[in-house]
Amino acid sequence: MEEILKKIGDLVAEGEDEDAVEATQEALDMGIDPMVILQQGASKGMDLINEQYNNGEAFLPELVLAGDAMTAVIDLLFANMDSDAAAGTKLGTIVIGQAKGDVHDIGKNVCSALLACNGFEVHDMGTDVAPKAMVEKAAEVGANIVIQSTLLTTSLPYIADTLQYITDTGHRDDMFFACGGGPVTPEFATNMQADGWSRSSFDCVEMCKKLVTECKPGKQPIVIVNSEG
Amino acid sequence: MNNYKVQILLNNLDKAYRGPIVPMKEWDTKIIPKTIKHVLKEHNLLGTLDEENPINTDPELADEYFKAGWDLAIELGLYCEDTERVIHVTEEELYESMRNYQAVNILGDGQDTVIMKPRRPEDPYPPLLAASLGIVCSEENYIPLVEGIVKYNKLVDVLHGPTLATVFGRPIRSGTPYETLAGNYESELKKEALWRAGRPDMAKTGVNSAVTEFGHFGGAASVAGRGNVTQSLCPVELKCTFSNFHRNIMGLNYGHKLRTGGFSYIGGYAGRPEGAAVACIANDLLLTTILQADYVSSYVYDIQLFGNCGRKAVWANSVSTQAVSRNTNIMRNKIVNETGGPCTEMFMYEAAVGLMNHSVSGASKTTQPRSAGGRFTDYITPMECWWCGNVFKSTAGMSLKQANEIAKKILPKYEHKLGKLTKEDQGLPVNECFDLANHVPKENYRELYTRVRNELIDLGMPLNNVFGEWYDEFLKKRNVYSYGF
Repeated sequence: MEEILKKIGDLVAEGEDEDAVEATQEALDMGIDPMVILQQGASKGMDLINEQYNNGEAFLPELVLAGDAMTAVIDLLFANMDSDAAAGTKLGTIVIGQAKGDVHDIGKNVCSALLACNGFEVHDMGTDVAPKAMVEKAAEVGANIVIQSTLLTTSLPYIADTLQYITDTGHRDDMFFACGGGPVTPEFATNMQADGWSRSSFDCVEMCKKLVTECKPGKQPIVIVNSEG
Repeated sequence: MNNYKVQILLNNLDKAYRGPIVPMKEWDTKIIPKTIKHVLKEHNLLGTLDEENPINTDPELADEYFKAGWDLAIELGLYCEDTERVIHVTEEELYESMRNYQAVNILGDGQDTVIMKPRRPEDPYPPLLAASLGIVCSEENYIPLVEGIVKYNKLVDVLHGPTLATVFGRPIRSGTPYETLAGNYESELKKEALWRAGRPDMAKTGVNSAVTEFGHFGGAASVAGRGNVTQSLCPVELKCTFSNFHRNIMGLNYGHKLRTGGFSYIGGYAGRPEGAAVACIANDLLLTTILQADYVSSYVYDIQLFGNCGRKAVWANSVSTQAVSRNTNIMRNKIVNETGGPCTEMFMYEAAVGLMNHSVSGASKTTQPRSAGGRFTDYITPMECWWCGNVFKSTAGMSLKQANEIAKKILPKYEHKLGKLTKEDQGLPVNECFDLANHVPKENYRELYTRVRNELIDLGMPLNNVFGEWYDEFLKKRNVYSYGF
């Protein structure tokens, strides 16, 4: 059993999605509990790629591919769990996108990949995304977190617009709203009454975990995660 | 209008509609990393990062990087995000682009004219400094701040200018009429500030409150004419959008020089520092050839450190800048992304290492500063601009070895703080350390500036070169307090 679980973890970390799914199916056929496969196999691969990225041994493309592999494995495992177990396992569903007017995507892509590697279902809307498109997508996929980021001051107003759109369309109790990026300060996020703000990509993962485990949308002081100090 | 450039731009725009289709995710996660890794391997460049010597002193290594960058440019081409197609170039097109590249760029007009030349590593010809980067500034501070920034004509050559926080009190939403209005508004404020400073014909490099073509179109008429510049920044290395074509065509319509850039990210698609360096070289070649840049503004940035003043990025910038400087005449604007803010040692050390590196490696120009990482409104003063001019110009002509030895002494003073800055390192807003009415630093900044400047002179940086050593001697004899500008 240990051998196949290690193989799944390694394949997830290497971003080999088809092989990872095949190995996961093999483990399921062996009768291994899906939860065990997730916690002792695939999750170990996530830990490995996180560590490699942090140490400068893996980069954005590897993160993206590992995130894809993790998502594919999770999909298969959930299909083999009862719905209560699956719901209890998934950390959350996130819609993420770069604010309207901004085509920089590197930082957002790192966040997106790390979130997928860490067990979130991530819907990445790309760059230059209008508030309406973000919220409609979130409603469509039942997301509980909406994240927008920008590197541009001229896109900051659109971040506030997205939260306003969430409120105006009656979704404020259903979804957390968080933001980040170069000119997006904690003060800006606090003033607009966002639920979360984070400085780095790793901070973003921690922030999302805190939101889904400890908070309710729009109901408490903002969660700020800043490893920079 | 330059018809030759227009024809080439149109040919490449055609290619953006006819080149091979590649899904963006495949380009980002497979084609880019695999091709870069392959090219690095072919040229035996994997593992050449030398963190012990952050400024490269090996010319053969720089030349090998150039060959790798040349191969990468031909193999990959430039990706057009709008059509998801690749704009390829042939080797002959690259040669033709190098053959037809201009000898100099003349910026500004009349008494405010400055000449940008191709520079080699260790070149004594002083590079140009444009100030400031697009740090956000409140409307009421804009004119006095710009007037202060351009106060010293030996330190600041070209006006880039801060970014406006608001236009007539309203937030500037990109791609909207607010931005179109801000384009003209910013240009008029700059003209007013330059007139007050007595430098009315200084070159202006576009509209910094603009991120889409709306703002650029809005401001272009106000700064039309030869000697001014249109900036066109690509989203990431080896990619462009129609917005880049829009801006460059607009620039040609108005007789501007074209400054086109795209940054390579350590930790991004290009991967390790060696990959980011080779991608940066390919970018220089492709933006000159495909987007007809008169000068290129590309550099290497480290995602994890939110800047490019750490050893890895300094090294990658040194080797990639030297590679292109040694093998072509392409003129480049190389930016340093400091993370420390105004009135901090952190900023002054970061700028000192980054700008000395760019100057000795052969950059023709820089745009500075990125004080406090560009994160906070009004965290910009003329002092950072003057410091950058002082360092960038005075270090021209130093040897790579000298610069490397000095960088090794300065880096330990700040590198442990990169990526985890304290509140103190973020510095002070302009009104707490600079007198905007009289364009002089307040005592806290004057003291810091003088202390750090003297400390770096003791380490061997020739910071008194800008005005000549005679000037410092002159001041000493007259027992005049000098803070170096």
